[in-house]
Amino acid sequence: MPDRILSSSAALAEALHEEMERDETIFIVGEDLVAHAGIFGQFKGIPEKFPGRIIDTPISETCIAGCGLGAAMTGMRPLVDFHFSDFVTCGMDELCNQAAKIRYMFGGQVKLPMVVWCPDGAGLRAAAQHSQSLESWFVHMPGLKVVIPSEPADVKGLIKAAIRDDDPVMFFQHKKLFAKEGPVPEEEYVIPLGQAAVKREGKDVSLLCYGSGYYLCVEAAEKLAGDGIEAEVVDLRTLKPLDMDTVAVSIQKTHRAVVVHEACRTGGFGSELAARIQDELFDELDAPVKRVGAKDFPIPFSPPMEDFVLPNVSDVLKAVHAVTYR
Amino acid sequence: MPTEIKIPKLGLTMTEAILVEWSVGAGKAIAVDQIVCVIETDKVSLEVQSPAEGFMHPVAEAGSRVAVGEVIGYVAEDEAALAELQAREPAAASATGKAAAPATAPEPPEKAPEPPPSPAVKPDRRPGERIVATPAARKRSRELGVDLAEVAGSGPGGRIVLADVATAAEAAEDERYEGMYDFGSVAPESEMLTVEETVPIRGIRKIISRNMKLSLSSQAQLTLHTEASARGMRETRALFNTRLEEGQVPVPYNAILVKAAAAALRQHPRLNAVVDGRDIKIWKEIHIGMAMDFGRGLIVPKIRNADAKSIRVIADELGDLVERAQNQKLVPDELQGGTFTITNLGSWDIDGFTPINNFPESAILGVGRIVDKPWVREGAVVAEPRMALSLTFDHRIIDGALGARFLKTLKDRIEDTRLML
Amino acid sequence: MPDDKKTLLELYRKMVAVRQFETMAGEHFAAGEIPGFIHLSIGQEASSVGVCSCLRKDDYVVTTHRGHGHMIAKGADLKRMTAELFGKRDGYCKGKGGSMHIADFSIGFLGANGVVAGGLPIITGAGLSIKLRKTDQVALAFFGDGACNRGPVHEAMNMAAIWKLPVIFVVENNQYASTTPMEYSCAIGDLCTRAAGYGMPGEKVDGNDVLAVRKAAATAVERARAGEGPTLLENATYRMKGHFEGDPQKYRKTEEVESWGEKDPVERFARVLTKKKILTKKLAASILKEVHSELDEALAFAQDSPFPAPEDAMNDLYSTMEGGSHA
Repeated sequence: MPDRILSSSAALAEALHEEMERDETIFIVGEDLVAHAGIFGQFKGIPEKFPGRIIDTPISETCIAGCGLGAAMTGMRPLVDFHFSDFVTCGMDELCNQAAKIRYMFGGQVKLPMVVWCPDGAGLRAAAQHSQSLESWFVHMPGLKVVIPSEPADVKGLIKAAIRDDDPVMFFQHKKLFAKEGPVPEEEYVIPLGQAAVKREGKDVSLLCYGSGYYLCVEAAEKLAGDGIEAEVVDLRTLKPLDMDTVAVSIQKTHRAVVVHEACRTGGFGSELAARIQDELFDELDAPVKRVGAKDFPIPFSPPMEDFVLPNVSDVLKAVHAVTYR
Repeated sequence: MPTEIKIPKLGLTMTEAILVEWSVGAGKAIAVDQIVCVIETDKVSLEVQSPAEGFMHPVAEAGSRVAVGEVIGYVAEDEAALAELQAREPAAASATGKAAAPATAPEPPEKAPEPPPSPAVKPDRRPGERIVATPAARKRSRELGVDLAEVAGSGPGGRIVLADVATAAEAAEDERYEGMYDFGSVAPESEMLTVEETVPIRGIRKIISRNMKLSLSSQAQLTLHTEASARGMRETRALFNTRLEEGQVPVPYNAILVKAAAAALRQHPRLNAVVDGRDIKIWKEIHIGMAMDFGRGLIVPKIRNADAKSIRVIADELGDLVERAQNQKLVPDELQGGTFTITNLGSWDIDGFTPINNFPESAILGVGRIVDKPWVREGAVVAEPRMALSLTFDHRIIDGALGARFLKTLKDRIEDTRLML
Repeated sequence: MPDDKKTLLELYRKMVAVRQFETMAGEHFAAGEIPGFIHLSIGQEASSVGVCSCLRKDDYVVTTHRGHGHMIAKGADLKRMTAELFGKRDGYCKGKGGSMHIADFSIGFLGANGVVAGGLPIITGAGLSIKLRKTDQVALAFFGDGACNRGPVHEAMNMAAIWKLPVIFVVENNQYASTTPMEYSCAIGDLCTRAAGYGMPGEKVDGNDVLAVRKAAATAVERARAGEGPTLLENATYRMKGHFEGDPQKYRKTEEVESWGEKDPVERFARVLTKKKILTKKLAASILKEVHSELDEALAFAQDSPFPAPEDAMNDLYSTMEGGSHA
């Protein structure tokens, strides 16, 4: 069956329709969901089709997270919409002290099937408090899983896996990619958490990326091919659990790695991945592992400054040339 | 978007190949799976097929070394795309596509290919200076036995990288077998002689010539001849082939010979050995190579652990190897690491001959044709199928009597295949 | 609510059990057998027992770091509780939670919480879940006067109120948030008046009078079950021990502690029952003996239970993957 072309928003909405149809314990809770089917239109059709199962809240991020938590502990399967990922700070106790730990500290007595859906990322001139990429905070938190899809097909397959998962999943989707279109299979499918995808094969360097970083890598790989450098693009898709096997196979082939993400470099996921690569794949490396990420600044408002702070394709190219020695 | 033509990876160890020739000229129309060029590795020669339909735009020069995954040309989807490609990068001058080239156009004399890039210059380090090398380069140097102190680094600040180790290893290999490749110019300069064609010795030919020379110059080879009745083998083959199941390939004589040789080697392991420095190393495994030639040079794919396999399984594997050898689909890994070889010249009406060991192996069995001869059986002269067997072995480590015993063991099994049960 | 002799004696027995459990825990903490630190609820037994006496087994409860009493009152197994306090393998949480993070989901006890006010957003979520699942359960949160000044309380109460969730918020005003007196941290005298800000009823009761507590709680639970929304109950009580065991308590005067001693809820209820001729000295002694024997059993169970193996630390993090991403 040929794939259809869908936007990321449409892919998400379609997945939710299918899942909510399948399992009536699934509901969506968050701010400003019903009137416009989510502020990005990401829940299109759901308020009409599933009235009462998409619930508007007051502006109370702490309790929105808590609501998801309490419901997940008592037999429901909530999807908590965080409006903008930046506001996770207002729910940090619920996410990190409670959701991440409840199953563990209570000795495995309970399952917490909760998805925390966070639109993140910069590029919309939304400035410092509406543009962040905070995934690495949650990777650092045992008990949470962290998923960041790039293409629409990944969005659909991964949100389904996240919803069906019995543990709390932080699901980040880049705001700028909502409208990005791509092929989405017609038939039912789920992409298991913890499976990276080699989306372009190459022998010279492994570009390890996720979310918006994936698109930087695809563009960079095209340009590099013109220079005779074959870059392998590995879309990690899930940061926790991390598919280190796929990373290893790629690096065993290319012997060089560049980690690319939009989050700022210091303490970003690239730091963790680079550390693991040198630890587990030391003898495979023919160059230092490079990280490409935003500069360590809040995201500024004015376009020239925002563009300056964010990583771009030429940053990726520069890193690749450095690790391939050409 | 034009489609890239890349060098396929044909086995774990293959890193590069030589682009021997382009089969299709630049700008010519081409169909999917049409052969576009021929490449050669140390072990095998292969035809590369077109990944798409369109117009050919080769960019790598014939005779050049090409890395696995390297783009050697493109297939443009239409003429406009072709023009665009030509504007971006000129077509390879060597891509005249002999087969497709017009017969009237006089071809320039084929030049010998460029020599491989010169080995990296020896490093310039102060005594005691720390050698800077990447972890991968260090690992590879351990695997290949390359001394990093002898390797020049091409990375930043003289850092030794993977490619430097590979270059150094190749240079070392050339050095080790010095004289095995370069035969010196001996062609007489005479007005009575003109060169019709110059064929460079490279790829498979280079390896064959090196190994043949090593084989005869470093071993003391002796050949024993005998003859066996092929009646039992013929009956066994018939037994299999009259009961073939759907999709099964018929059992060839060679499958029975491989099985018999494996059984005899198990009994006389000294023939399944190699002289390594001052030691004789007797192999645990029996991997029997079957010499094949489909006009592109001798190749010897292996039947692994032949002693542990049934005649039926060996027949299936041989069928697969032959088919893929004909289609140039064998990968280098399938051609390495043998312990004994069989070469069968029977189909060319050869009887006894003196095969040369497949260096560094220590023994090889030559098999001749099966021919009916008058034979006395139970007092009467009957027509008996007879087959010549020639065993060459390294007399340094295999005494004549042992060679003879091996041949007898083998002959017994060929004549009565039930002994292999 | 029934108040027959049997029910009243059961209330008394539960209060004694809580008091004796806490006393036992204090002793074994002092003896070094209980690791970490523990917070005892001695003096607050009327609140825990009175409130929980109005709940069913399938109703939900969250509590605080001072939650032993609530858990016992909800019907927890003393053996597994004690073993958990001791950090043993047979504890409720296999030794992963301890006193401050203990739960029993089989009785709807969704957990003590180490974060002040941490349970309130959770209980609102549980209330939402009840509403979505259309059952007649209720969800109840115990919290302290200290928690009242945290933001999550505001969000949780407001959301429970706008959705009319079947939730009961029970603030046990024991006068001190750790070392800080209630008067210092709150500009209003009665915490229950905050209910007005959320459009829900608020009531203050004598938290050391188990029957008063029970009556108010019964009304709130009934309201919740009837779909009329949440209630805020303020049980005015007193923490007779320090914030934690070993607290030097320099922030309060001995006379103040002693004056509350006279209002000791367990003795007070005993007097009421004696007056009603329900309880005799002999019966009280026999109840105490019974409780002690249960506690002895629990103690023996905890002491006999092995410690978890060190690598048991790697279990129970995720339900669908083993341990961390690199254990």
